[in-house]
Amino acid sequence: MSIPGLGQIAPQPATSNKRIILLKPLWEYRFSVPRNSPGVGVRLLTGTADRDGTELALNRTYTFQRTRSKISTYQGCTLEISGGPVDDYVKDYADPSDSPACQFVNLHVAFQEQREAAAARQSGRTAAQGPRVMVCGPRGSGKTTLAKTLVALATRVGGQPLMANVDPNEGLLSLPGTVSAAVYGTMMDIEEPAGGFGIGSTPSSGPNAVPVKLPIVYYFGRERVEDDVPHWRDVVNKLASSARAKLKEDEAVRAAGMILDTPPVDLENEGIDILAHAANEFAGEYLPIQLIMLLRAIANCLTSANFILVLGSDQLVSELQKRFAGQKTSLGELIMVVPLDKSDGVVQRDEQFMRFTREATIKEYFFGDSKRTLSPSTQLVSFDDVAIFKAPEAESEAYEGQPILEPAEISAEMSHWTLAIMNASVNDPPETIRQAPVIGFIAIADVDEDRRRLKVLSPVSGRLGNKPLVWGRWPEPYINLLG
Amino acid sequence: MADNGADVADDYRQALEDLTMNSRIEIATLTNIARENANHGLAITEVLQNHIKKVPPPRTLPALYVLDSVVKNVPTPYALYFGPKLYSIFMNAYTKVDNSTRRKMEEMLRTWKEPVPGSISTKPVFPPQYVQPIENALIAARNAAYQANQSSFRRPPQVAPTRDTPTPPTARPASHQAGPHGQQPFAGPPNGHAQQQMDPAVTQQQQQPYPMRPHTDPIMIPPRVAPQPYSGVTDMPHYQLPVSRENYGAPQPGISIDRLKDDIQQLIIAERTEFARNPLDASRQTRLKALLDLQTIIQRQDMPQDQLMLVKDRVTELAVNMRAPGAVAVTAAPLMSSTYTLPIPPVVSQQPTPVPPVAIARPPSVTTGAAAAPPPAAGAGAGAGAGAGGFSIDALFGQGALAALLSAAPKPATPQQVPSASATPQLMSQPLPQALPASLGAALAAMRSPPPQRLATPPVPAPAPVPAPAPTPAAVPTAALASNPSALLAMLRQSGLIQPTTSAAATPPTTHTSLPVGGAWGAPHYQPPLETPLSYQFRAAHLKQFRPQAMVRLEDDLGLPCTHCGRRFKTNEDGRRKKTAHMDWHFRVHQRIAEYEKRGQHRSFFVDELDWINSLEAIDVDYVAPPAGGNNASNNDSGDSPRGGHSSAQSGGKRGGQQNQQQQLQYIAVPEDSSRVNTVCPICQERFEMKWLDEAQEWVWMDAVKIGERVFHASCHREATKDRDREDTQAATAAAAAAAAAAAQAQLYQRGAPEGVLGKRKAEASDLKSVRPDRC
Repeated sequence: MSIPGLGQIAPQPATSNKRIILLKPLWEYRFSVPRNSPGVGVRLLTGTADRDGTELALNRTYTFQRTRSKISTYQGCTLEISGGPVDDYVKDYADPSDSPACQFVNLHVAFQEQREAAAARQSGRTAAQGPRVMVCGPRGSGKTTLAKTLVALATRVGGQPLMANVDPNEGLLSLPGTVSAAVYGTMMDIEEPAGGFGIGSTPSSGPNAVPVKLPIVYYFGRERVEDDVPHWRDVVNKLASSARAKLKEDEAVRAAGMILDTPPVDLENEGIDILAHAANEFAGEYLPIQLIMLLRAIANCLTSANFILVLGSDQLVSELQKRFAGQKTSLGELIMVVPLDKSDGVVQRDEQFMRFTREATIKEYFFGDSKRTLSPSTQLVSFDDVAIFKAPEAESEAYEGQPILEPAEISAEMSHWTLAIMNASVNDPPETIRQAPVIGFIAIADVDEDRRRLKVLSPVSGRLGNKPLVWGRWPEPYINLLG
Repeated sequence: MADNGADVADDYRQALEDLTMNSRIEIATLTNIARENANHGLAITEVLQNHIKKVPPPRTLPALYVLDSVVKNVPTPYALYFGPKLYSIFMNAYTKVDNSTRRKMEEMLRTWKEPVPGSISTKPVFPPQYVQPIENALIAARNAAYQANQSSFRRPPQVAPTRDTPTPPTARPASHQAGPHGQQPFAGPPNGHAQQQMDPAVTQQQQQPYPMRPHTDPIMIPPRVAPQPYSGVTDMPHYQLPVSRENYGAPQPGISIDRLKDDIQQLIIAERTEFARNPLDASRQTRLKALLDLQTIIQRQDMPQDQLMLVKDRVTELAVNMRAPGAVAVTAAPLMSSTYTLPIPPVVSQQPTPVPPVAIARPPSVTTGAAAAPPPAAGAGAGAGAGAGGFSIDALFGQGALAALLSAAPKPATPQQVPSASATPQLMSQPLPQALPASLGAALAAMRSPPPQRLATPPVPAPAPVPAPAPTPAAVPTAALASNPSALLAMLRQSGLIQPTTSAAATPPTTHTSLPVGGAWGAPHYQPPLETPLSYQFRAAHLKQFRPQAMVRLEDDLGLPCTHCGRRFKTNEDGRRKKTAHMDWHFRVHQRIAEYEKRGQHRSFFVDELDWINSLEAIDVDYVAPPAGGNNASNNDSGDSPRGGHSSAQSGGKRGGQQNQQQQLQYIAVPEDSSRVNTVCPICQERFEMKWLDEAQEWVWMDAVKIGERVFHASCHREATKDRDREDTQAATAAAAAAAAAAAQAQLYQRGAPEGVLGKRKAEASDLKSVRPDRC
């Protein structure tokens, strides 16, 4: 106080935008942070609260940016909201059982019982599998949120479930246009826009305040499954085999089971078939996902998923039930189709928002976020030093034996695209390359056709060496990352 | 986290201040906090004590529930801390709260004499020496209340409104139920009691929809009504107080006063009616006069509890007498003669309906069935009075007056009677009941009562004043009955006046009631959530059901959260160990984040399938990314993350804590203050080679390793220590090899250390200088 000037600093008037809100049990604080907002801070003052199943620590300010999400509470809480601007409101439920959280928790409890039973039965070679759960529903029905919540709750009680995503529209721990899976044994990043499913949770060279998750990623390079169903099947098969291997190898994961997020299914389309396929592939012997049964019936394949959760679509439920009623997984479990109510809080994310999100995700992949600044390396590479492949143009005649990948001609067109680095050799056959796991992405910053040089942005310095790059058709380039 | 007691206490005080309603969740939270901070138990005890003392009456009960919960869930040390203070805390609170709260407090008190529900320990929550004084005080208070009650008898009309019981005054005279009516509520509660007791799980479920007010138990009402239609109706008002469904009656001073007044009033009304019918009946006249006198006395005088008690007993007897005839009329089963038989059967019959355990304790109170008890009770009352204060009714009111009152039993048919009637049918179905002698009935009851302690208890805790002379078999039931005034009345009514038995009427009530209470409050609130097995179905109705206990499992049951990230750790040994590791991890990561911020980081490459499959989720272990593709394996040690399942990760884990040390690539960042570090390898006496390492984005010493305070050439050190530290070295070597294989660039910097040659090579082949004889 005696230091001159120190005592005269007026208290910050900025605190005026702090608000305290009270949530009763199972109420939700729903918010949408506009993209240009510096972020909204949420601090839990009393009680307990969580975002999609991951608990908030008391008295810590969490800053949310460019996200639409919710904070829910099981026991009631008070939150302090600061910053903004933010569109938000409190969703109250007169009857607690109206809250979607009830469904989620009850589901979790049911699955948890199975996990415990599986863990108890696990001895030696006889593999008891935890529940394998497939989450289905139309677009914007809250599939990912449900999956995330189930994963988070399982993690909370010490489980290590395997989370897999086969919806290329949103990447799980990856960029959009990929399918991926990862084991979640640790807390999710609450502040991350995708709430723990985003690229920000993947490992970097430095430490991360929130435990990172290690994904296995396969590249699809399309926005929707329908754009290239055979390719999607291929990568899903690969992902499924990796997942099965994981479940086989890792006892903790096997007992915890798997949760599978699926592409949106619009019944007018061929969605059911897609779904059926997903169920089949993941229904392998070691896949505890109970969703498998559903897929099995449809695709006439073996399915391992034993639970199929269907959000908010009666039609889908009846379709699935028709196909899976009485079916059993390859493990002999009855496949169960569980209809669930869609949360009224699900917001339809418009294309603009999705686009912005994708853009931000790519940026974050290379440059990190506000908490962790990353320094990608910029390299100049000769055309001759890189091997870039792409799928043949759709308009070109399809013919028998047509290679599924062909070397791409490097041109200015390629600028600002994000290419996947495949963990394969340039000399591998196209199928191998296409189905190889992704080890990273590079962004083409500039193409100098005259000097035959590419300027690429790579997360890791060093030459790309022998790794083939695959140029997909999505997500499209939006920005110059170096601009 | 607050580390010292003052902080803890302060936090706890604030938390308590936020507790405004009876919320199971909040109470559970507070309990958990207390549990977590058991080492500051004394501070918390004081805070809680002060809180209970200061808090406004409406919020006293939740605070007491916190105490109850803490003591039951964390008996050590809180039961020890609270024990000596229990009396002052309890009585202090008791005096300031309203009657309904008192009832709940009494329920709570009863549970304190029992073992914690669900616990294996058979020790009561509090040892008797702490609970007993409170009970005694309450009994005394109740007696006083009864007397006070009688004194207010004067104005019958006004009495009704002031009464705690909601019975509409008007209804009584009209229906002739007046006398009994007031007592009806008593009969009701027991039933509710039983209901509740019967199955904690059920109760629990029923309560689920009302998580915030666990005490509310709307469901209780219907069951109660079923067995006793009449009482159900009359009782309704009582039950507004959710918690109070139990037997509240006896111990409560306020209530008992009211009740006493009420009783007397009823008697007078009944008597007047009789008198009107038979104006010439002298005995009636006498009785009426006696009653009026009694009323006057009670209203005027501030009678000591003992006396009040006496009066109450007398009145009860009177009521019984008066009703007996009525009972005959109403019920199929009559009479003075068969007094004993009648009462007991109900007890028996009652049992089947409600839950067995409770039923037993309750039956008397529930139905009029308790007839067996009346005589003893009455006698007890008198005896007690005499023993305690040397008073007797006669002394108080004049010999003969009351006797007159008691002598004849007019006709009033009271509602009480009706219940008994309803009970009777049940009776009929039962083979035994009718013929049962009182003693047999008592024995039966005893046998049926599951918890032996309950039955046993009543006799034991006889209130101070009452010396228990010769308890007849009937005494047991009596004791049970005694708890409930209505039960008493019913018994008295049916049996008529009987030979004075012992057993303090006052005591038994408390004991008995304790059972139900335990179930009511303690059990549903705390234990059930933990114990009830949840079997879930995937049906929509099941999924949508609100199950607070499932949520508790996800939060409170998992222990306290980490203050940094909210992850919860159990409070057991394993949990503490994990928490320690977790906090260490936070600390290291925090340190390293600061460190790495200066350096620049980059996204790692994803891993190959095999690595992914083989990687294990390593929780709270330092992470070293497995080398993959062009990944710079050396530089990855982001924390708490999946860890490569191979040796590199392990060695990284072992040594990860050392600053700037990168085992895999065998280089260290050039020390910032090179004057403090040796610039020459102590083994080979060569200077370290400084080089810009692209991947690390900084200047490094290649092939260097820092051991303690000194820096060595990694290859020299490896060579020198390979014998004594083979394992470790191998790990490092393997790690180095793995890294080298994975990253082409890394290989450039990797110094092979061929063994078994004359010299060793520390650097790249081009570095000729480095080839030298081994000096070590």
